Amino acid sequence: MVELKVNGAVRQVDAAPETPLLYVLREDLQLNGAKFGCGLGQCGACTVAIDGAPAFSCLLPVGLLAGREITTVEGLGSPDKPGPLQQAFIDEQAAQCGYCIAGMVMRAHTLLARNPSPTDDEILEHMSPNLCRCGAHMRIVAAIRRASSRKEASRSQRGAL
Amino acid sequence: MANAQGPETTGTVAPPLPTPRKTGGIGAATPRVDGRAKVTGAARYGSDFFGGPDPAYAFLATSAIARGRITEIDDSDARALPGVIDILTHRNVGDRVKPGKTFSDKGYMGTSIAPLASDRVWHDGQIVAVVVADSYEAARDAARRLRVSYADETPSASFDSPGTETVSAESKSKEGEKAGQEKPKVGDAPRAFEAAPVKIDQHYETPTQHHNPIELFTTTCAWDGDQLTVWESSQNVYGYQNGLAEQLGLEPSQIRVVSPFIGGAFGSRGSLTQRTALIALASKRIGRPVVLEATRQQGFTIATYRAETRHRIRLGADQSGKLTALIHEGWEVTSRKDEYKVAGTDASTRLYACPNIDSDVSIVHADRNTPGFMRSPPEVPYLFALESAMDELAYAAKIDPVELRRINDTDREPIKGLPYTSRSLMKCFDTAGQAFGWSRRSAQPGSMRDGDWMIGWGCASTMYPTQVGPAAARVTLRPDGAVRVQTAAHDIGTGAYTVIAQTAADRLGVPLDKVHVELGDTALPPAPVAGGSNTTASVCNVVAKACDEIRRKLAAAVTVSGGPLDGADPGRITLINASVMDDQGRMASLKDAVAKTGHGAVEAYAENIPHGAPPTAMQNLYKGQSALAGGAKLKDRIQFAFGAQFVEVRINARTREIRAPRIVGAYAGGTIVNPLTAKSQLMGGQIWGVSSALHEATEIDRRFARYYNDDLAEYLIPVNADITEVQTIFVPEEDHQVNELGIKGLGELGNVGLNAAVANAVFHATGVRIRKLPIRIESVLDAPVPT
Repeated sequence: MVELKVNGAVRQVDAAPETPLLYVLREDLQLNGAKFGCGLGQCGACTVAIDGAPAFSCLLPVGLLAGREITTVEGLGSPDKPGPLQQAFIDEQAAQCGYCIAGMVMRAHTLLARNPSPTDDEILEHMSPNLCRCGAHMRIVAAIRRASSRKEASRSQRGAL
Repeated sequence: MANAQGPETTGTVAPPLPTPRKTGGIGAATPRVDGRAKVTGAARYGSDFFGGPDPAYAFLATSAIARGRITEIDDSDARALPGVIDILTHRNVGDRVKPGKTFSDKGYMGTSIAPLASDRVWHDGQIVAVVVADSYEAARDAARRLRVSYADETPSASFDSPGTETVSAESKSKEGEKAGQEKPKVGDAPRAFEAAPVKIDQHYETPTQHHNPIELFTTTCAWDGDQLTVWESSQNVYGYQNGLAEQLGLEPSQIRVVSPFIGGAFGSRGSLTQRTALIALASKRIGRPVVLEATRQQGFTIATYRAETRHRIRLGADQSGKLTALIHEGWEVTSRKDEYKVAGTDASTRLYACPNIDSDVSIVHADRNTPGFMRSPPEVPYLFALESAMDELAYAAKIDPVELRRINDTDREPIKGLPYTSRSLMKCFDTAGQAFGWSRRSAQPGSMRDGDWMIGWGCASTMYPTQVGPAAARVTLRPDGAVRVQTAAHDIGTGAYTVIAQTAADRLGVPLDKVHVELGDTALPPAPVAGGSNTTASVCNVVAKACDEIRRKLAAAVTVSGGPLDGADPGRITLINASVMDDQGRMASLKDAVAKTGHGAVEAYAENIPHGAPPTAMQNLYKGQSALAGGAKLKDRIQFAFGAQFVEVRINARTREIRAPRIVGAYAGGTIVNPLTAKSQLMGGQIWGVSSALHEATEIDRRFARYYNDDLAEYLIPVNADITEVQTIFVPEEDHQVNELGIKGLGELGNVGLNAAVANAVFHATGVRIRKLPIRIESVLDAPVPT
C-alpha cells in the first residue's frame, strides 16, 4: 500500500513501490488526463507536477513520492470550471487532437508558477521536452503567453485567429 | 540565432474572412466545443478505456528477423511467471483469425500479412506472440522470456537491395482500375521532351516516415456473451467493425467499435491492423477484458507508414517557360505480400497546362511491413519531385518561380480537358507572395545574407483532391431547442465535433451550446473514413440535409389551418433564434411548433450520396466501405483545392545548421466552416511540411531490413522551439459545384508542396540542389560559402 497526495487529497493505492506514477494515476485513481505516449520520457504526454516541478510520470516510481505534492491536469480545474491556464488553452484553441495537451498544460503550469512573466525564449526552452504531433505549436505557445502576466501585448492577439 | 527567431508574428490573416452568418453558425470562428474536455483531462481517448473493472493486459512479442520461419517457441519460462494467463502464437491461433483483405483491395486491413496464421515471418517486428497476464509488467516480462528460434533468410530492405521485385503498378492494379486507377498520359511526351529547348531531367527521393501519433496503438476488447466491444482510436469505426467481423467470423452487428476521441491519427488508424482481432480472440479465450498498449517501437512495425519513394521527372519547355513535355515516373516500396501504392501521378500530371504528358508508377516489393496512408499520401512525395523540378526549370529558363506557375496555369486539367470546378492557385501565390515579401527576393542563389546566415526563399504549389463520401446522420430536435446529432464520423483533432455542431446550429437556428454531437461509435449511423480530407464536406452536408428535413416537418405542422403560422408558404419557413418564422416575419416558438407535429421531439435520419458515387454507396458504407468520390476520378469535371507555400530558410555558413524561421501559406478551400479549426488544420499541415523536409526519416539497417530510430528520441519531429513563425492565409473561394455547402476540405492541403518549397529555398540560399529528403546539416556541408 502506498500513500500519495494527489491534487490536494491523500489517496491510498494498492501498488508496488516501483510502479510508475502514470499507471497508478490512470488505472487506480481514474485520473486519465496524463497520457501514455512512450513510457520512455521522450514525449511528455504524461507530464505532472511534483512539488511544483515538472516530471515524466511514466518514469517515476510511486515509492519515491510519499509526502510529495502531486498535481495533475485535473487539479487545475474541471470542464465546468477550468483554471486560468486551461482557459487560456481553450481561448487560444491550443488543443488539436488534445492528446499531448494535459502534459503541455502541466509543464507550462510549472513554468508560470515560478516565473509568471517568461520571455518567449524561456517558454520555448521550458516546453522543449514535450512533443505535439498535430502541429499546434503556435497555439500552445500563444496560450502560455496569454496565461502569463506579461504586460506587453501578446503576439497572439495580433493575429486574430 | 536572434535573427533565426525572426520577427514575431503568429498566424496573421490577411484578407477578410467570409462574413459569419450567425453566431456559432457556418463560417463563424467558433472555439472547439470539445476544448474544455481536452484541456481538463475529461476527454476519453481509445487508450483511456480499460473494458471493465478487472482487465488483463497483453504484451506483444515481435520477430527478431525480417524474413524466414519460426522453428520453435519455448514458452516454459514465460508460462512459469506468476500472473501469466495465456500466450497466443501461430500454434494456437492459425486460421481462427482470417487475414482479411487490404483497404486497397476493397477490404479493411492495412496489411494482409496475418501474423499468427503460420510460422512465416514477413518483416522485422512482426507479431509472433501475444502474452496475456494479470498485469502489464507480468505480460511484458513474460514476453521477454519467450525463446523464439528462427530459420532466417537474407531480407531485402529497400530500393537497390538484392532480392527485391519491381513490378508496374498498372499491371498489378486490376482492383485499382475499377476504382479509377489510371496511368495519366496525353500527346507524345518523349518526342516533345526531345525537341524542347529548355529541359530538366532529374531524380528525386523521399524517405520512410512514420505517423507517430502521440497516442500509442492501443486496443481494449471485452465480450458480453457473443457481443464484442472494441475500444480503439480509429479513423474508420465502421471499417473496423466490418473488418473484424470478417476476420473473426462474426456478424458486424455482434461488434461495437467505440472511439470518441483520437490522440492523433494522420492515416495510421484508417485501416484495421492485425492486432485488434488477436486481442479480441485473447479476451474471448480468457473470459476477461484485455488491454493492449503496444510500445512506441512496436508501433513502427505493427501499423503502417509512408514508404520511401523515388522519382524521375522530365520537363520540357519553350523559351517563354511554357511546358511542352512532362514525364513523371515514380517508384514506391511496399511489402513482399501487398501491393500498396500511392501513385501520385493522378495529381502531378494535372497541376499545369501541358500538351504532352506521360507517367508511370512501379512498386518494389521488399521484406517490410506494408505501408499505408500518411497525411496526403500521394501528394507529399509526388509533388516534392514535381515542384522541385519546376523550380529547377525556373532557373534554367531564367523565369521567376511564381511567374513560371502563372505561365503554366490552367482552368482545365490537361489529360482529358475536364474543367476544374474552381482553381485559385495564382490568387494563392499572389496573396502569399505579398505577405511573404517575395518581390524583395534577389533571384541569384547565395545572394541573400544576414551575418553568418545564408538566406534562401523558396515556394511551391500545393493541391489536394476535393473528395466527398456517402454519409448518414440522425438529428433530433426537442421543444426546448436541444439538438442531438449522431453520426459515426471521427474527430481526429480536425474539429469535426465543432463544425458539425455549427452546421446543426446554423440550420436549426439554435445556439451552439444547445447542440450535442456524438461521434466515433458504430452504434451511430455510418460516416466515411476520416481520410482524404472528406469529413467536413461529407458529414456537414448530410447533417444539413437532416436538419432541413426537420425544418420541413415543422413547417408542415405550423402552416396548417389553425396552426400558429396558418396560411404561410411551408417552403419559406425558416428556423431562427430558437423559433419558427415565416416570410412575413411571424414567429412561433419551437415548443409550439414541435407540439403541433404531435410528437415529443422531431427527428430526422438522412443519407447523402455525393456526386460521382455509385447508387450502392450507402449500402457499401454500412459495410464499412467509404468509396470517396471526387478529385480526378469524376467523368464530367475535376475538383481540387489549391494553395501556395512560401518558406524562408537560414543556413549558418559556419555550422550549416538549417532553420526555417518563416513559413507563409495561402490556401483556397471553398467554404470555411470554422476559420479557427480550419487554420489549425492548415497550420499543422505546414508544420508537417517543414518536418517532412528537415526532420523526419525512419532509418533502415539495410543488412537486417530493420528500423533503428524507432522511438521519439531518435525519430525527429519539431518541438515548439523549431517553429517560430507560421502565417496561414485563407483565400476566399466559392464553389457550389463540389457539394451544396461548397466545402473542399483542408486537412491535408497545408502539408503538400512545402517540402519542395524548403528544398527550393535551400537551393536559393546555397546554390546546392538537394533532391533527397530530409535535408540536414550533412546535406549542405559542401555548399560553397558565397562571398
